[in-house]
Amino acid sequence: MASIGRSQEAISNGAAMAAFLAAGIGAFALGVIVILNETGLFAAPALYAPAGGVTGRTTLAAAIWLIGWAVLHRRWRDRQVEARVVFALSLLGIGVGIVLTLPPVWKLF
Amino acid sequence: MDTMLFTERSLWTMLHGMALGGGALMGLAIALFSLRAMRFSGAPGATADRQALYLTWLIVATAALLWSSVLAGTYVTFPAYRAAPPEGIADLAPYPKALIQSVPGTAWLHSFAMEAKEHVPWIAAMLATAVAFVGLRYRAKLLGDRQLNDMATVLVAICFVLVSFVALLGVLVNKVAPVE
Repeated sequence: MASIGRSQEAISNGAAMAAFLAAGIGAFALGVIVILNETGLFAAPALYAPAGGVTGRTTLAAAIWLIGWAVLHRRWRDRQVEARVVFALSLLGIGVGIVLTLPPVWKLF
Repeated sequence: MDTMLFTERSLWTMLHGMALGGGALMGLAIALFSLRAMRFSGAPGATADRQALYLTWLIVATAALLWSSVLAGTYVTFPAYRAAPPEGIADLAPYPKALIQSVPGTAWLHSFAMEAKEHVPWIAAMLATAVAFVGLRYRAKLLGDRQLNDMATVLVAICFVLVSFVALLGVLVNKVAPVE
């Protein structure tokens, strides 16, 4: 049973998809945090005053990324997941996240 | 009176931009090329295993350089850039952000360029880390599995574009208002 589990772990794509989707979640989270900050709805506290609020925003986004990755990895590491759908979601998160961090977009909110 | 050729702040800026960021950019370019050029089909042989090993360590090193650049930029260079000038000071050169914002023609270098540089590199670092992890875990499969290879290639390509973008913005900002 242990060898079957190891074999399955070796060929399943779950761990890879977890990593990719987590990156999408992290990017999306950062974009949302930036928009919340720019609209005055939520400002993550600065962790290092000389650098300002960016330290809080990025640390919060990094925490969401890592926690999301840990959860996804735990659930998917021994599984074969639907790669196309998951990767599409990852790209969506990355794309939206990038766009939301760009200043011209802030004016829309 | 002795004059320092480079201040500590400018050395940190060069480290952030050219050594760490530039190194990461080169690593990404090589990784992008390698992901395509070293693809194979069928069972991996010794050559494929060795190539995958080199590529994996390249991507890991690139991710490390990228994170180093991001952290140095955020916690060392950025504070020097955004330091507020004392009241009534005439020479704003030691205060890059204030200098940029004092001239309407250069204000966009802060309101767009630096604002974008605050966050975009963090996304690039997350992407690079994801690909580095996949390389470490899957090794030769990163080159032999078509789907995995395609996905990794896309993410590395996005990462390369993002890092190129922020690097260019950094060059423009430093050209007008260098951190000295």
